[in-house]
Amino acid sequence: MSTAAQYLALSRRSVLGTIRTPIAVIPSLTFPLLFLALNSAALNRSIQLPGFPEVDSFLQFMFATTVIQGALFGAVTAGSSMATDIEGGFFERMIAAPASRSSILVGRVAGVAVFAFGQAWLFFAVATVFGLDVEGGLVGMLGLSLVASVVAAAIGALSVAFGLKTGSSEAVQGAFPMAFAIMFLSSAFFPRALMSGWFLDVAEANPFSYLIEDVRYQVIAGFSWSRLVTALAIAGALFAAGLVLSGLALRGRLKETS
Amino acid sequence: MSAAAVTWGIAERSVKLIPRVPSTFIPSLVMPVFLTIAFSGPFASLVDLPGFPADHILDWVVPFTALQGCAFAGITTGMGLARDLENGFYDRILMSPAPRSALLWGAFVATILRAGIALALMLLVGVVSGAHFRDGIVGIAALTIAGLGLAFAAGAWAIGLALRFKTQQIAPLMQTGVFLSTFLSTAQMPVELMTGWLDDVASVNPVTYVLALARQGFLGDVTWAVTQDGLLALGGMIVVLVAFAYRGMQKVIP
Repeated sequence: MSTAAQYLALSRRSVLGTIRTPIAVIPSLTFPLLFLALNSAALNRSIQLPGFPEVDSFLQFMFATTVIQGALFGAVTAGSSMATDIEGGFFERMIAAPASRSSILVGRVAGVAVFAFGQAWLFFAVATVFGLDVEGGLVGMLGLSLVASVVAAAIGALSVAFGLKTGSSEAVQGAFPMAFAIMFLSSAFFPRALMSGWFLDVAEANPFSYLIEDVRYQVIAGFSWSRLVTALAIAGALFAAGLVLSGLALRGRLKETS
Repeated sequence: MSAAAVTWGIAERSVKLIPRVPSTFIPSLVMPVFLTIAFSGPFASLVDLPGFPADHILDWVVPFTALQGCAFAGITTGMGLARDLENGFYDRILMSPAPRSALLWGAFVATILRAGIALALMLLVGVVSGAHFRDGIVGIAALTIAGLGLAFAAGAWAIGLALRFKTQQIAPLMQTGVFLSTFLSTAQMPVELMTGWLDDVASVNPVTYVLALARQGFLGDVTWAVTQDGLLALGGMIVVLVAFAYRGMQKVIP
């Protein structure tokens, strides 16, 4: 079996495994939509505040955040599934097989990236029913879903690193709120122009603020190549860091197992 | 052993379990602190909206996160009960000659004691972060009644679920119930500034009135009209959810 075929088979296993485990899929599908529904209804008047970007509704402002939030939720399954593979003995059988070591990582990470891409379009379909208008059109939506995929791959790689390091799915799930916290400490939920004090300093230092603002631009203003490239670069840098860390964690786990 | 001694014994055990199994209780303390930061930081300028009832966002957010902390601390009693039911420890308690109502009240007392810890922490967070306790001790009393009352209701909900399902896997449903009931209220905005469906839902949600009871001392003077509505809402929730827990206790078989 070629390396590419191994990558494909393990990615397919990851996606199917996610879809076949409703308890893992349902939170990543429902919670971001629930937050979108709640915030859109509760905070819609806030778009009248001076300094708020020009938007049709809070739903339009919040949509990009929802897509990235869904990607984060879904990505954690990569790490917890890796830990489950370790706990259940599948990991040991994988390394005993004549399979490429990198396919163990690529399979998991590609699986969550594909899931995040599909999930973004599902969110788009649901939000459109409730009046969402993406100013960047389908191209803007494609850009947003690509960035969501890379973010999912990045967070997936980091969670795989954590799963390999700890070998405990509970520990991976327990660490997930960190990713959620990083998002809250950015301009994901409200514009930076309306923040002040120490929170503004934190949001300005948080790369997630710029990533979200650049993909939000595709939704509220129109398609922009430069902003899409910036968002992809931030997500890509995070992905590279995730790959390095998961590679190191895999090496450590292999040493421990052999 | 009297029923009161059984009740106290159960409650004492639940409190003693906090340092022994901290992983179940600590998140209920961390979460409200985090939510205070997460809501007061980005949404600080909401107070500039015409009609927003607070001058400072912390006066709006701290009572809400304090109530949520109390409610989440309350449901940890249900999670502990689910663990005892799952591993068989509770079967031994059920087979003892202790009255079942005393067992149940032991869990309710534990709920209030646990919520007291969360409330004390959130009051400290309020002081440190600079929230305004405009009606002083009366306002703190209103927040305490609202917080402990909501914890009682949330605990009864969680205990009722634990007795029916006898597994820790029911924990997400316990949390979802609390999460939905608190967020589908005036958690982020007053009813007058909401739009669409949430306005209608929040108006009939009893948690909205409990939140008003908790917030009034932070926004101005405590009034009997707001207190009365809050107490009625709390009373209604507690009666219904305690009945739910009682039915569960009657049905549970060792």
